[in-house]
Amino acid sequence: MIEKIKLEDLKKENILAFGEIYQGKLHPSSLEILTPLKEIAEKLDKSLILVCLADSLESIHDLESLKKSLADEVWFIFHSKLRDFKDDLYARVFIEIIKSTNPYGVFFPATLIGVSIAPRIAGVLNLGLCAHVNALEIENNQIIMARPTYGENIIAKLTSKTIPVMATISIGAFSPKTSEKTPVFKEVIFPENFSWESALKVRSFRSSKKKPSRLSTAKVVVAGGRGLKNKENFQKLFELAEILKAEVGATRPVCYEGWVEEERMIGVSGVTVKPKVYIGFGISGALQHTAGMENSEFIIGINTDKEAPLIKMANLAFITDAPKFLDLIIKRLKNLLKS
Amino acid sequence: MEKIIVCIKGVPKPGTVKVDPETHTLKRESMELILNPNDRPALEMAIRLKEKYRAEITIISMGPPNIIPLLKQAYALGIDQMILLSDRAFAGADTLATSYVLARAIEKLSPFSIVLMGLKSIDGETAQVPSETAGLLGLPSLINIKELKKEDDKWIAIRENEYGEEEIEVESSLLASVSPQAFDYLRPPSLKRLIEVKEKEPLIWTASDIQAEPEKLGLKGSPTQVVDVFEKKLEMKGTILEGEPQELVEKFIEVLKEKEIIKI
Repeated sequence: MIEKIKLEDLKKENILAFGEIYQGKLHPSSLEILTPLKEIAEKLDKSLILVCLADSLESIHDLESLKKSLADEVWFIFHSKLRDFKDDLYARVFIEIIKSTNPYGVFFPATLIGVSIAPRIAGVLNLGLCAHVNALEIENNQIIMARPTYGENIIAKLTSKTIPVMATISIGAFSPKTSEKTPVFKEVIFPENFSWESALKVRSFRSSKKKPSRLSTAKVVVAGGRGLKNKENFQKLFELAEILKAEVGATRPVCYEGWVEEERMIGVSGVTVKPKVYIGFGISGALQHTAGMENSEFIIGINTDKEAPLIKMANLAFITDAPKFLDLIIKRLKNLLKS
Repeated sequence: MEKIIVCIKGVPKPGTVKVDPETHTLKRESMELILNPNDRPALEMAIRLKEKYRAEITIISMGPPNIIPLLKQAYALGIDQMILLSDRAFAGADTLATSYVLARAIEKLSPFSIVLMGLKSIDGETAQVPSETAGLLGLPSLINIKELKKEDDKWIAIRENEYGEEEIEVESSLLASVSPQAFDYLRPPSLKRLIEVKEKEPLIWTASDIQAEPEKLGLKGSPTQVVDVFEKKLEMKGTILEGEPQELVEKFIEVLKEKEIIKI
């Protein structure tokens, strides 16, 4: 079922996407990024290829999701030395593929592994690389990428002068889609003289003890910003979240203030959420944040400033003191639940 | 003696960034510069290594001369040498052109045993410069490490990713970015050093000092280009309720019921 093909015989000038496989598990963001890339590839009349590095086919748990993915082809590179993630080796494998197949675009999910190898490749090959892109389009046969930038509501559109066009794509910015058409699976055979050595040796791995937050899939999100004034007030969001069976999210400034860990950051450089109800306490709504929650079904904003972007975006806005309001809500809910 | 290089960056203090509504460019005059908070763990790691292995630390930073006070702040933590990479030709650099300047400077400082950086700056937030610089230098790189120590001649690092923690062995010199959560405690500057640094000035290296190729610098050397900036206009779209918190709470609870978030 899987065709073996020499590196030099692979199809040329495609759009490549990195399929991140870590310990046999495919990172969901690798399927997400195929959604915008499929559109781009179709408009440019190019094939979309998902490139996966692993130690063997048997080690991959998620072959089914790969079979349903939007990719036209999935290229596998198997080698026992690819069992652990090694920045230098993974980048060299990719560079070999780029040199041999001359792609038009190469894209990575903005995971830690994505931001480890994409810039390494860009550095070695002297290529432009856009970071944390959350929209892609074609204009005059050219890939235009967009990301929010400094300030409240400014979006920058970027291009890259070098080919392949390279970018990392924000996690959660797109929803994964499935296709009826099964991609062609190919195992790429590398030249005999390719060196699989790495300067890095992974001695051991300890899986994370803390449960990953379920923020990105939460049905209800209660988020807080600087308007909550201090860490103590912010922590009360966890009380509310428990009552509402919600997940707690945060803006960038409060994560940097240390009120809450960074994995709760919603926005361009954090998580994208699409809950049924999003409730923002003391959040003004910088684009950095709103880009990560604007597709929520129902938005409730609580702020003293009527002109704040989040208040304008909200389906329902409460113009009031956020910390005080949060306190009262928790008290009222506790009373109601007792009776 | 080991030589440690730490790359640091001056960033606008959050909240002081204002954008000119007409030109969409940053209003630099209102901006207050601070040392990128994510660089502090990289400096702390370097100083702990220095204490353990008798190392010497050099900090390098690319930017205009107005970031010199930030270099001095870092120096007061326990740094030995400060180098400012400053040249008009560096202006407008994207991550590749920035990494190129850093790589040239690092090469000039070789031999070294380790290069450390913060995971990402809090302004650009690309997290690209560490691996991009390593790619240019052909150095092994590790992103988001929490610990670093020596065992014989090897570096042993703990790297954290979305899945957990890996213990990684590296036989050569390397470049690593340090996790913002690497340390519970970051030392303050020492009084003695704060006094000492008043008399110190950083070395200033221009493009010619690092033998940089002019076409790889600044805006010209940046393959990624901003083609358009635009403002996202927002219109008021929902219902606005004003008043005392007490009065609004009942309305809020009603909405929660409507949306079936609570069943009371």
